[in-house]
Amino acid sequence: MLSLRNPPRRGEPQLLASYDPALMWVTLILLTVGVVMVYSASIATAEAARFTGYRSTYFLTRHGAFVLLGVAAAAAVVQIPMRLWQRAAPYLFVAGVVLLVAVLIPGIGRDVNGSRRWISFFAINLQPSELMKVFAVLYAADYTARKAGDMQSITRGFLPMFGVFLVVGYLLLREPDFGAFFVTCCIALGVLFLGGLNAKLFAALGVLLPAAFTVLIVISPYRMQRIVAFLDPWSDPFGKGYQLSHSLIAFGRGEWLGAGLGASVEKLFYLPEAHTDFILAVIAEELGFAGVLVVVALFAWLVWRAFMIGRQAGRLGRAFPALVAQGIGVWLAVQTLINMGVNMGVLPTKGLTLPLLSYGGSGIIANCLAIGLLLRIDFENRQLLRGYVV
Amino acid sequence: MSAAAGMGGGVRSVPAKLAGWRMTVLALALIALFGGLAVRALYLQGFQTGFLQRKGNSFSKKELVIPAQRGRITDRHGEALAISTPQFQIFVTPRGMQPSPAQFTQLARLLDLSEAALKKMLDGAEGEFLTIKPRVLPEIADRIVALRISGLEVQRHYRRHYPDADVTSQLLGFNNVDDQGQEGMELAQNAWLAGKQGMRRVIVDNKRNIIDEAGAGRPPQEGRDLALSIDRKLQHLVFRELKAAVEANKAKAGGAVVLDARTGEVLALANWPAFDPNQRDVVPKDRARNRTLTDVFEPGSTLKPFTVAAALEAGLVRPDSMLQTAPGSMTINGATIHDAHVYGALTVEQVIQKSSNVGAAKMALMLPPETMWQMLSRSGFGTPPRTGFPGEVGGRLRPWKTWRPIEQATMAYGHGISVNLVQLARAYTIFATDGELKPASLLKTGGEVAGQPVISAASARAVRKMLEAAVSPGGTAPKAQVAGYRVAGKTGTAHKLAGKGYAPHNYVSSFVGFAPVSSPRLIVAVMIDDPAGGQHYGGTVAAPVFSRITDAALRALNVPHDAPLDNVILPAPEEPPVMEDV
Repeated sequence: MLSLRNPPRRGEPQLLASYDPALMWVTLILLTVGVVMVYSASIATAEAARFTGYRSTYFLTRHGAFVLLGVAAAAAVVQIPMRLWQRAAPYLFVAGVVLLVAVLIPGIGRDVNGSRRWISFFAINLQPSELMKVFAVLYAADYTARKAGDMQSITRGFLPMFGVFLVVGYLLLREPDFGAFFVTCCIALGVLFLGGLNAKLFAALGVLLPAAFTVLIVISPYRMQRIVAFLDPWSDPFGKGYQLSHSLIAFGRGEWLGAGLGASVEKLFYLPEAHTDFILAVIAEELGFAGVLVVVALFAWLVWRAFMIGRQAGRLGRAFPALVAQGIGVWLAVQTLINMGVNMGVLPTKGLTLPLLSYGGSGIIANCLAIGLLLRIDFENRQLLRGYVV
Repeated sequence: MSAAAGMGGGVRSVPAKLAGWRMTVLALALIALFGGLAVRALYLQGFQTGFLQRKGNSFSKKELVIPAQRGRITDRHGEALAISTPQFQIFVTPRGMQPSPAQFTQLARLLDLSEAALKKMLDGAEGEFLTIKPRVLPEIADRIVALRISGLEVQRHYRRHYPDADVTSQLLGFNNVDDQGQEGMELAQNAWLAGKQGMRRVIVDNKRNIIDEAGAGRPPQEGRDLALSIDRKLQHLVFRELKAAVEANKAKAGGAVVLDARTGEVLALANWPAFDPNQRDVVPKDRARNRTLTDVFEPGSTLKPFTVAAALEAGLVRPDSMLQTAPGSMTINGATIHDAHVYGALTVEQVIQKSSNVGAAKMALMLPPETMWQMLSRSGFGTPPRTGFPGEVGGRLRPWKTWRPIEQATMAYGHGISVNLVQLARAYTIFATDGELKPASLLKTGGEVAGQPVISAASARAVRKMLEAAVSPGGTAPKAQVAGYRVAGKTGTAHKLAGKGYAPHNYVSSFVGFAPVSSPRLIVAVMIDDPAGGQHYGGTVAAPVFSRITDAALRALNVPHDAPLDNVILPAPEEPPVMEDV
């Protein structure tokens, strides 16, 4: 029926491209902005550090390689039909859990500043929690699509999924990686919600989960400290409020149009993690409100597009791709909002990177995989609209 | 949709269940949150910039000090006694430096280091400020700057240098690391000498590398030069003689002062022990003290001329009045004072010449206490000499109302009163001039300086004559004589104070005199503290130092002779020398 609306006619120009060029271009723009800003943000710290060999391009070359690898991975993902992804989803999820266990084992997981988040794999450091976000989206979508009929039941619909994510959540908190834990929870809940889970149950969760998060924060002194610091960074600008106050200063320096590319002062050893968690602050200082607005708008568009692709897949009767697309939308939205919120001082400091922009190999590749999935789902949508079978 | 149907078990019933409203609500909520962030960014970057930039500046805006050159201290003829020379500190910023191999080789050669040693230094201090060389000469610094190595910085500062080292040490004092006076004339005249630091406003990164200039600074204002009254040539001479005397007499310390008799200017002021202010990591307190101004001692017989002057002024005696000093001792209120010899009847002049305590005490007791106190006070005793030198003291001159007769008697020959050497030398201006007390000055003064009349010209001349007799073969200090010049002066030997009384075998030996007597130009005061070389009388310990200093100084100043060159007559060896009493 849908094919009637837009029948392809032989010899006429195609009205619909076979893939979504806007999505691809927005992604490439964000990746490019990321490469430029990672270089700008890291140039001084790289030049001054022994472990980089005092090479100013240390982070640039690595990040550039990750981006190329990510684009290649996305290109590969686009080739794989969604039905294969659905079949692989449970296995990928189990593989993800295995990696999450492995990272906790001393000797395999690498301890950095008291957290075990990386697995050293020859020259590459793998961060399992980043890949787990992709696998969580696939698994939650598969689960919800399969159990669509049980979505009104707590015991058959909600609890099995809850149990599985309890395990994943536990492993993530053991690292500890509260940021990944939070994002994964949001993905699972988002997909369940969109998959039609009982509304009353959601209302109850809406009360219970914030309470649970609060408990997790209160029992952990370092998380509590971060909360306190975020409420008034200026009370202790040399201690607990240091990072946030410098992020805010970077925003303040940027004004409307920014100090100019490369002209950030805060990145010069004042702002820690300038090329990872606080890259938006450097963008704010160098490119101003204009730059921030463009980045926020691009992300908002990306999230909106993910939901639209999902909605179209849903209308085409394809539950799994629909939920995958929307799950990716939830993921990118939550992680982006938190990262930006932290940079702007409206959320407590959390170790979450800005998707597609921040330095970090596992993160970039996981984000590119997600974009690849979106492009594939959209491609299949278009194929179906043309009457092809996918 | 057969394609969808083939995908999985639960898919069939789903399309209807994927409720559109849920997705719409969620997507809109998330997009709204993005909108919220945009508003937050707008607030921060559009309306909070003043506050945030102020906060940022508190971290990154720094005011750097540009040191000002301190003024020179010169002697009265403009010869440098203290100079500040620009020096250049060579350091590497925390970012490290990136020289090319050729630049590295040149740098090592300019710094006079081996390449291996330089490399080792650089490797040892990653990510920190590293001073490679604290001081290099300006021409070397210029060549290092010309290498244009990024990350290598050259900073100008000033180093104080004292060409005369220990010769002028306590007089000039020294400065702290901020080039501010800490001791001596450096401290006394700090406001004049110190320039005003300049200031540079800069933006720095968190490792204090300078990124940019931030607005106008302030150029430094250089300090002004200061001319002291000191004559550098005399200073060296006095220092050399004093040091030799302290060492020859195995004394604890010593001081010597030369005043211009006409102006009261201090031409030389030396202390021993001394220190080298150019190498002063640790300055021992006892070497840093300018004893001639900050320490007091009981002057002993050098004070007798003032007793005599008071009695002459009061009309109670004349120079030829006879005083009976037999039996060489005198008891007042149960306390006895002694002379070294029994002289019998002495004229007033002979009391000074032989330094009779009994004679001086008798004269003192003729005087009302107030008259005697006024004589001493108007001669500058009991108040600091107001040279402006930090820590100068005034000595002790008790108010006359509290004097008991025995105290008045002992004060007549310089006990129970304390003075510093500059004060004592200055007091002798009343005898070197026709009765005027000249102000003591460490700064060069222009021309004649008016004094304060203390005694009449007649009295001054009378005492001068007595003091000349004291250095004659019949006096206590024939060793003070100088070939070709008539000199006058008085010895002093006093027990050192120990606890509440006097130490039996520790003395302060002194001599104060002036020359040439026909028209006095110089007053020279010498004090030797605790001589332990077998001699302790002022006439044997201090008088020869006076003689050598005066001799050399008068010749150096080309002062015309007022006596034949064979005028010096020393007592025959077998003749017992006249010794003053203690």
